[in-house]
Amino acid sequence: MGKSMNDSRIRKKVEKIARKEGGVGIGVRVEGGIVYLDGKIDSRKDFLSLGSSIGKIKHAGGVVNNLEYPGKKKREKKQGKKEKIGEADVVIVGGGVIGCSIARELSHYDLKIILVGKAEDVATGTTKANNGMVHTGIGEKMGTLKQKLCVEGHQMYDDISKELCIPYKKCGMWIITTGDSLAHYKIPSFLANFIAKRVVPFIILRRGKKLGIPMHLVKREELLRQEPHVTEKALAAVYSPTYGITCPYLFTIALAENAIENGVDIMLNTEVVDIDVKDGSVKSVITTEGVIDTHFVVNAAGLYADEIAEMAGAREYTIHPKKGSTLLFDKEYGNYINHSMSALKFPRTEHYKGGGIMLTVDGNIQWGPTVEEVPDRDDTSVTYEEIERIFQGYSYLTPDFPSKTVIAYFAGLRASTFTEDFFIQPSKKVKGFVHVAGIQSPGLAAAPAVADMVINILKNEGLPMNEKQDFNPCRKKPVVFRELGNEEKKKIMEKNSLYGRIVCRCEQVTEGEIVDAIHAPIPALSMDAIKRRTRAGMGRCQGAFCLPRVARILARETGIPLERVVKNIEDSYLFVGKAKCLLEVGNEN
Amino acid sequence: MKTDVAVIGGGPAGLAAALKASEQAKVMLLERENELGGILPQCIHNGFGNFIFKKMLTGPEYAHHFMGKVEKSDIDVKTETAVLEINEDKTIVATNPSDGILEIKAKAIVLAMGCRERSRAQILIPGTRPAGVYTAGTAQRLINIEGVMPGKRIVILGSGDVGLIMARRFILEGAEVEGVYEIMQKPGGLTRNVVQCLEDYGIPLLLSHTVTNIKGKKRVEAVTVAKVDKSMKPIKGTERVIPCDCLILAVGLIPENELSKQAGVVMDEKTGGPVVDEHMETSVPGIFACGNVVHVHDLVDDVTMVSEIAGEYAAKYATGEIERGKEIKVVVGDNVRYVVPQFLRSIDMDNVTFYFRVKEEDKNVKVIISESMAIFEKKERIVKPPEMVKASVPSELLKGIQNELRIDVRGKYEK
Amino acid sequence: MKSKFTCIECPLGCAITAEKKGDEIIVTGNKCNRGKDYAIRELTDPKRILTTTVFVENGIHPLLPVKSDREIPKNLIKKCIGELSKVRAKAPVKYGDVICKNVMGTGANIVSSCSMVRKNE
Repeated sequence: MGKSMNDSRIRKKVEKIARKEGGVGIGVRVEGGIVYLDGKIDSRKDFLSLGSSIGKIKHAGGVVNNLEYPGKKKREKKQGKKEKIGEADVVIVGGGVIGCSIARELSHYDLKIILVGKAEDVATGTTKANNGMVHTGIGEKMGTLKQKLCVEGHQMYDDISKELCIPYKKCGMWIITTGDSLAHYKIPSFLANFIAKRVVPFIILRRGKKLGIPMHLVKREELLRQEPHVTEKALAAVYSPTYGITCPYLFTIALAENAIENGVDIMLNTEVVDIDVKDGSVKSVITTEGVIDTHFVVNAAGLYADEIAEMAGAREYTIHPKKGSTLLFDKEYGNYINHSMSALKFPRTEHYKGGGIMLTVDGNIQWGPTVEEVPDRDDTSVTYEEIERIFQGYSYLTPDFPSKTVIAYFAGLRASTFTEDFFIQPSKKVKGFVHVAGIQSPGLAAAPAVADMVINILKNEGLPMNEKQDFNPCRKKPVVFRELGNEEKKKIMEKNSLYGRIVCRCEQVTEGEIVDAIHAPIPALSMDAIKRRTRAGMGRCQGAFCLPRVARILARETGIPLERVVKNIEDSYLFVGKAKCLLEVGNEN
Repeated sequence: MKTDVAVIGGGPAGLAAALKASEQAKVMLLERENELGGILPQCIHNGFGNFIFKKMLTGPEYAHHFMGKVEKSDIDVKTETAVLEINEDKTIVATNPSDGILEIKAKAIVLAMGCRERSRAQILIPGTRPAGVYTAGTAQRLINIEGVMPGKRIVILGSGDVGLIMARRFILEGAEVEGVYEIMQKPGGLTRNVVQCLEDYGIPLLLSHTVTNIKGKKRVEAVTVAKVDKSMKPIKGTERVIPCDCLILAVGLIPENELSKQAGVVMDEKTGGPVVDEHMETSVPGIFACGNVVHVHDLVDDVTMVSEIAGEYAAKYATGEIERGKEIKVVVGDNVRYVVPQFLRSIDMDNVTFYFRVKEEDKNVKVIISESMAIFEKKERIVKPPEMVKASVPSELLKGIQNELRIDVRGKYEK
Repeated sequence: MKSKFTCIECPLGCAITAEKKGDEIIVTGNKCNRGKDYAIRELTDPKRILTTTVFVENGIHPLLPVKSDREIPKNLIKKCIGELSKVRAKAPVKYGDVICKNVMGTGANIVSSCSMVRKNE
């Protein structure tokens, strides 16, 4: 009874918002705290603003925004195959950092686990374009699930990074207030400066104390002494020494490999097209490769989580992708700053920490990310305007940084829901279906804690879980030539002379490392997969030198002709054919 | 391991330097590829060697000439050998599959690593990141050495020599070239390449144009081109979408100097290479540099000539034969973007050749080299930024110089 | 009929016009005699050295760079390259080896521009 009272209260609020924001005549239904919107509206803009306003209603558990507007695109449905290809206790949908964290955590138990990913590799979606920040939780809204899991996850990184042999550094972070922090407000500058210098830092410190995040105040002079390139406009800073960085795709690959070592079956190039539910319970997952019977599905499908939920009849949210673009600079200037940094500016954009100047584990500096709503779930293009915006926005903090030394830019999409918090719970409608959706920043930092939470949900949902005796938490570290001392280099070369042949000269990647990646537990079968594992092609020349060489090694190791080598996804061929293939006479042969 | 002279890089610069040095000293030549020649083997077109051989050779032929000589010499050639570090005491750490880690103590080092191509990021082309975007030099290697075609329908951005040559090469291999787009108001390459590569085959050259977007998920599907204004910003409303499956970037070359910087040599911001004296010696005694590592040349003949100087004096340094005089700076004056060498130290050769580029095209000009007064003058009918200008000055005119030397290029001689 | 050329004899790059009038060729736009000669040559008998690659069997690379040992008519270049795409050379090849004799009746031989050793040799 309490529940339905709650529902009717939410419904009234939704209708009020709809009247105010031009959504008159739309269909509203509220069920178990989840708001369902149907009908027609004028534009995507209205779709987003209505969704966001309704998402803010207190106690609204989720917003399923089915509103139609002119130009709304629908994705083509793929065909599934009918033959049975497997059985599992749990099927995890999604090969990002969340899906792989859950897979690895579940591999502690005596269970048959299958992870299905639609892409050719793990970590190809939202995870890939993450900037690697292992947030402490200080930037998140108080009391949210994402803040709780971020604080917990961050604390787990010390151990997990050691077990999995992935790069993780506590590089520290400056949260800086400046003379422009409050420029938006028409208040006298002495007052604005006073607030920026004396009030804001203490609010942050108090928050940190509450959350148990170590932080301290640093005066302007000390900040400028430690970071001589920071703008003179800085007024004060809060330093957060435990702020970390990792490599999002290496972490995900390591999780996946460790999961495989512990018995998880990872099926790539396998897209879920339907979920069979009988009598309110999950029965099987239908994929482009065949059917997998299971009673439990963990939906960690990121940008497509709502579509997967829909297949099970368990849609409780709508994903609206938000793009973030980042610029990456030459390592030569990697020492320009000593810690990551971010300048505070008020009022803050909702659900966006503002990005900043960030270090990477590889020694580059990156600027970004931006935030922008986009209609397409695969629109990872970087626009002229975004590049300009990054230059304008971030050159502020270190004005003399040689910003012409960009070596790459990329964009990723955040899988946001309208309630803007993580949506991790068992479905209210379908037994055995677990939502792990709406994972945007700080999803990377939270990932280990998310996995723990999902384990508990599955236990509560009745999945029998017995710990394995032979679980091996450690993954063998692959050879990384450039990190070794000369003596260690000599040693590995004695075992395999291919470690003596440099293929990527910018990043000093050897043929041995590339061959290792191709034959790893998750074989790297595309140029991008090799690049993510080895860094071949990630340096300042961006593959101009090593691309032909890496492609040749890949062709040789997998026994395919050079012209069949792909950049990433299926059919993304590097070349259109052999030389002479376009000559008329040549074709006769 | 010890040697008198270690030459890093087995392209045209390294080959010439090593050969010349080997006349007087023990030489080790380190090349990261499994064969010598650098970029030459992939430059299958002709046009090389006009000055040195008085013939129009192809790249492989030009390389063949030097490789034959190297084979007959006692140069210790190490191929597949990548240099990992150079220390200021001239110890080199390198690696190759047969020797593992090599530590080489050299008396003198010649840096001849060449240059690399500017990439998409340096010109900030927006869009997606599909397969089918290549730099011109990479495409050249793919077509001529690896034996694969990067695309069928090509758009080329940049009209430098590599871009022009690749436009022709694509046509000859049966691809379509939609056009060569150049952001500047003038072509970036040599006139003869504009004629022989584009005009001969009717390939359109569009000046004051750039690529403003790349579209495609798997492979390139189209690019957007637009006119640019005088500040090289795209003009709204001039965009055109060109369907294509391949974008070739010929947007400039950058001297490759990571190792040079590691060795602590002083760099010239304008050339992107180390500052050198007339012997091609850098600011670090005993470390020499030549070829495209110093500045990007138009003609391989010039590379060979300066590299022979570098090799000769590296050998002399190793055997203790260099005497240095007062250091004289060479500074740029009117309409000169940069000049090499950037300083003089010995003036012990018959001639000192200054290599320089102008900032703007001009006709009927004089090249004037002066201390307080002009000491050398030379007429040029035309000077253009893409075409390097040379001035060979007899040493007797340079003896006795006390202060800075200045180099100017002035239209219609004026007092 | 007027034909237009950009002279490549020097960096000046004169825009030259050449016109055939009876037996005479009238050249304008040139600043020197080299330009006149160039234009006449281009108008009457334009020729180029052909450079391309041919497939090579058992070589360390799949392709062998080749060139014509003398200039051939410009309008035959593409046809010759098409014809040469059928050729299969066999490693080892020596610098200057004739790969194809009298290509398409032009009188020019196609020769190798480099030496190529056999694979694994």
